[in-house]
Amino acid sequence: MVQPRILVLVAMASVGLAACGSSTPGTAANKPDKVQIAAEGPFTGDEASIGEGALRAIKLAVKDFNKAGGVHGTSVNLVVYDDNHNPQTAATQQAAGISDPTVLGIVGPMNSGVVLSTIQGLQGANPPLPFVTESASAVKVTDQGNTVAHRVNARDDQQGPADAKFMIDKQAKKVEVMDAHSDYSTALADIVAKYLADHAPTITVQRDTAQHGQTDFRTIVQRINAFKADWVFFADEGPEAAPFVQQLKSAGLTIGQNIQFLGTDGEDDATIITSSQGAFLNAYASNITPDPASVPSAADMITRYKAEYGADSISKAGPFYGSAYAAAQVLLQAIANSPVNNGKISRADVLSHLASDTFQTVLGPVKYNSKGDVTSVAIGLFQAKGTDMVSVKSITG
Amino acid sequence: MDYFLQNFPQQLVNGLETGSLYALIALGYTLVYGILEMLNFAHGDVYMVGGFLAAGVAGLFVHNGVTAIPAGLVVALMAIASMGGAGLLGVAIERVAYRPLRNSNRLAPLITAIGVSLFLESIVEVQVSPAPVLVPSNALVPQTVIRVGSVATPFMGLTLLVVSVALMFALDVFVFRTQFGTAMRATAQDREAATFMGIDVDRVIVVTFLAGSALAGMGGLLFGLTFATVNFFMGFLIGIKAFAAAVIGGIGNVRGAMVGGLFLGVLESMVGGFISTSFQDTFAFLALIVVLLIRPQGLFGQPLTDRA
Repeated sequence: MVQPRILVLVAMASVGLAACGSSTPGTAANKPDKVQIAAEGPFTGDEASIGEGALRAIKLAVKDFNKAGGVHGTSVNLVVYDDNHNPQTAATQQAAGISDPTVLGIVGPMNSGVVLSTIQGLQGANPPLPFVTESASAVKVTDQGNTVAHRVNARDDQQGPADAKFMIDKQAKKVEVMDAHSDYSTALADIVAKYLADHAPTITVQRDTAQHGQTDFRTIVQRINAFKADWVFFADEGPEAAPFVQQLKSAGLTIGQNIQFLGTDGEDDATIITSSQGAFLNAYASNITPDPASVPSAADMITRYKAEYGADSISKAGPFYGSAYAAAQVLLQAIANSPVNNGKISRADVLSHLASDTFQTVLGPVKYNSKGDVTSVAIGLFQAKGTDMVSVKSITG
Repeated sequence: MDYFLQNFPQQLVNGLETGSLYALIALGYTLVYGILEMLNFAHGDVYMVGGFLAAGVAGLFVHNGVTAIPAGLVVALMAIASMGGAGLLGVAIERVAYRPLRNSNRLAPLITAIGVSLFLESIVEVQVSPAPVLVPSNALVPQTVIRVGSVATPFMGLTLLVVSVALMFALDVFVFRTQFGTAMRATAQDREAATFMGIDVDRVIVVTFLAGSALAGMGGLLFGLTFATVNFFMGFLIGIKAFAAAVIGGIGNVRGAMVGGLFLGVLESMVGGFISTSFQDTFAFLALIVVLLIRPQGLFGQPLTDRA
């Protein structure tokens, strides 16, 4: 007599659950109607050399994800926001995503300055629009308490000490610390200068600021000459590096001979060797992500990237193609882990899963702390050799 | 004090070289203002187009750092392309964008000039290159460094200074020593009266735009050969600084623009060298404000017309 009652209760409970929709990850029978993510970065403009490779990697990640079944059978549509390294352009493009509830997240923006100028719009959206950046490293990106912010790369306060320590280990004596007057570069240069002052008081530091887009560095070069610097640290997103190192060379300061140069992520870009007519050779650059070629789990992705874009495509992929692929994986997995209700996935659920889940990426597992930062990250160090940026070592921060 | 004395000569040379470029571009602003009393804010972008034309010619004849024809000939072709192309562009802008507005209120051509400026930047960004373009200067000009005492400057730095100053003197002679220059000054003084005196005012205006824009084109070439790069945004800041230089010198005054450019370049170099590189631009525009407060008419004061 008891069994029929239990069966009735189970049947009623099942109907009730079905009426409420699934609260667990969707199934093929309950697949989302439409899923979109956006890729945002400077895909054209002065930083296209770092953006193009990242966009290709994101496209590849989406293609691979869809090939494996997408989100419970629904293919993910990728929309592209080319912000041109311009916060106003970024805000205009993001507005389209904010108003479309099927856009569940952004891979990017790539530049810290763009993130910091637009983050309030993403956080203030209803529901908030999450993003996973592959390259924005300013501390403020995740330190302002915005739940939408996530990144797969290291922060400035991880990269800066690693850079400073590298110069200390290389016996630097007089370090010219420069920034390019941007949210990203000024903060990073300040961290490096402070680390050197705190940990290597015998090293003398001279601090200078270039302007974004500056091409005439003769005044600064003369200051470097007068200071008799043996190292130059230039926190820069890339465009200023080529004319600067050429003017160093014109003033008799040849990198690798009578001066050493350490740049940052934007300068981990082999095109600078050509655009500086070779003056960049022997320069070092650190990167807030490891070189994918040095990570065994990224080998298959590199093979697919070459198959998709050509055998020589990696040399033109820029410094963030690996982290861009990983960031796309994080966002797509968070979406796939989110429940489907009446054919829809909510951004709020995606945010919740970004906060709680562990994601498997080509650069290793990603698990976020309460701010949206990865707890364990690797910083890559590269050197300009021949026509490439060659991986020197990887530091885990 | 020792630091200042040791570094002052070098920073002075740096400043004069930078300032000569400002002056070259400032001349275009001041010439047009002198004749038409309008601010041609597209002038900085004409300079940018000149730089791209030079880079384009270099790209045709230089491959992998090797020139297909003698380097001197390539540079000559670059000069013809940049000066000629920029000059014709200036004339075209005047004909299409400014002439129809010549008798409208003063705001209309000003806004049109800003529009032309944005148009030129956008078209180069979209159609030519959003990224900086290499000018293979290593293959085209000597990379030697000239040293005099404690002062050292690359060959192109000195060339920039010498060519700019030579062109400025040539323009000065043209404006103050030739019949056409007299016609220019007469037009600047009173356009209507100049017409009555038989001066072809339209022709004067066309030549003014041609000369000013050709100088800007030469500026673009010199910039490309000195810094080995051109980009679509390069005319923006230098255009504003050249405008500031023209105002400091006394807008409408040819010699004032030359002195204003050199003054601004040296000021920037001194501030960067001895105060702070962060405040170079701040001081440049502070100088503009101070000069305008003390001498609203600029350092040289008199417009082009009164120097006859």
